[in-house]
Amino acid sequence: MPAIVAQGICKSFRDRPFGPRKQVLHDVDLEVEHGAIFGILGPNAAGKTTFISILATLLHPDKGRARVLGLDAVKEANRLRERINLAATGAHFLWCLTVEENLRFYGRLYGLGGRSLRARVAELIELFDLAEHRRVTFERLSTGLKQRLALAKALINTPELLFLDEPTTGLDPDMAQLIREEILRLNRETGLTILLTTHNLREAEMLCGEVGFLKQGRLLARGRIPELQRRLGLGDHLTIVFRDGLPALDYARLPGVLAHRLQPDRVELRVDRAEERLAAILEAVAHTRQAVAQVRVKEVDLTEIYHEITH
Amino acid sequence: MRLPTDLRKIWAFAVRNALVNRRNVFAIFEMLFWPGVAIFSVGLLTRFLKLDPETVTFILIGAVTMNTIQIAQLDLSYALLYSVWAKSLRHEFIAPIRLSHILAGSGLVGLARGLLVFVIMGLFSMWFFQMDLSRPGWGGLLIFIAGMFLNAAIVGAVVLALVLRFGQRAEVAAWAFSYLMLLLCGLYYPVEVLPPGARELAQIIPLTYFLEYFRHFYGFPAYSAHPLLYGFSQSVIYLLASYALLWYTLKSAYQRGTLLRLSE
Repeated sequence: MPAIVAQGICKSFRDRPFGPRKQVLHDVDLEVEHGAIFGILGPNAAGKTTFISILATLLHPDKGRARVLGLDAVKEANRLRERINLAATGAHFLWCLTVEENLRFYGRLYGLGGRSLRARVAELIELFDLAEHRRVTFERLSTGLKQRLALAKALINTPELLFLDEPTTGLDPDMAQLIREEILRLNRETGLTILLTTHNLREAEMLCGEVGFLKQGRLLARGRIPELQRRLGLGDHLTIVFRDGLPALDYARLPGVLAHRLQPDRVELRVDRAEERLAAILEAVAHTRQAVAQVRVKEVDLTEIYHEITH
Repeated sequence: MRLPTDLRKIWAFAVRNALVNRRNVFAIFEMLFWPGVAIFSVGLLTRFLKLDPETVTFILIGAVTMNTIQIAQLDLSYALLYSVWAKSLRHEFIAPIRLSHILAGSGLVGLARGLLVFVIMGLFSMWFFQMDLSRPGWGGLLIFIAGMFLNAAIVGAVVLALVLRFGQRAEVAAWAFSYLMLLLCGLYYPVEVLPPGARELAQIIPLTYFLEYFRHFYGFPAYSAHPLLYGFSQSVIYLLASYALLWYTLKSAYQRGTLLRLSE
């Protein structure tokens, strides 16, 4: 059974008492396999946080069912909470407790105590390089350290499933990269299933095996990046630059070409799986006896897929 | 219920509240400065008015009661307000905790702080204004203290429900609600002096009966035949009702997204 099975999730809120209800999620279905890192992408107000909060037992859906780790996210919420955890954007914890005290507090909430709590806190402090700051109060930590503490807290109960709501927002690039590497390492070494929301497409590309695109509360598409690329007909970019001008050739009929654009000295091709077709295309070009100055291949990236889907 | 696990969760909230209190200079003010000011201002006023020792005791009991309840209920009210101020509410509620863990943990600290305030104010009243706290005996004293803490628990639970429903705006309620109750229960005066209507309201406040019970040791007649029966039975009913209200508010918070809104 998948780690997450969401079926027909709907959610609406009122902006003010007795005001009209605003639909935030429309019939969202999703399945996430155990051990995967799944990214939910979408613009602001797409419903990402609402969706992740329903799966994380913090919000009840109006309609639909969410089963997480085989448990109903509403009816069996307390049993489920033992096995999940969450780190969210802009870490917030009690300002006057130190790093160590905050971790101990959350550890106790999961029933840890005595030697096992001390050992787990020490392990996480070591893992996230927080030893130097263990006695520093939360309000005096830098943004990066706060986020590291948030991740450490999210692992205090050794969860099987981790929800990360925009985990690197507001961090400097180095710190964001460090956090991403940590997320990848956790997934690889412990098999932790991770559901993350982000609007950083590079981040999703680096971390996620699979992504889903949420816009105005609807899941528009989901799948692995190459799979989406094929489904959307978005080929890789192949540019061939000629030394003495563009030769006459029916570029549209070259193997795998989905679209092409002619320039005076080059042709820009959109090719389905360029890596596999490159040899055949270059062979066809060679028959024109026109000298090739440069060949550039660029795989389609998530940004293009994102724009294709959400615009 | 798995006892060691549940005790750890209760302990988590108790330790957290205790640490916040220890590091918060205002908490020291709440426990020492304001109760000290209250007992001296009230005590000196009775001296200026040349009141007889029984009346002085009557009024001082009111001052001690008010401050003890205020402090004890604050810790319960703060149980969620700390999380609201820190915007960490969703981190607490994603953990496998129940309302009873929050109430018991925070209540423990409220109990300790309330007891401390009661002892300090009692000692001040004895040393400076000749109040005789030993007259009701240990039994009478313990019953009165239990009554005060039951009332503090009711107020605290109602304020918690308001915080869960209205967030930080309910902060004012943490103070206002208990003052309103104290105004009606005959804190500095017998309930008979209250205007009609208010007097009837006083009858449905359990603290009214606990004050009557405690003051009867000092020669003031109890107006109800069974003050302890009324006091405890009302307290139990209100406690159950406030817990049910809190439980319902939490359930509705999951529906309305309040936990998320208060964490932003």
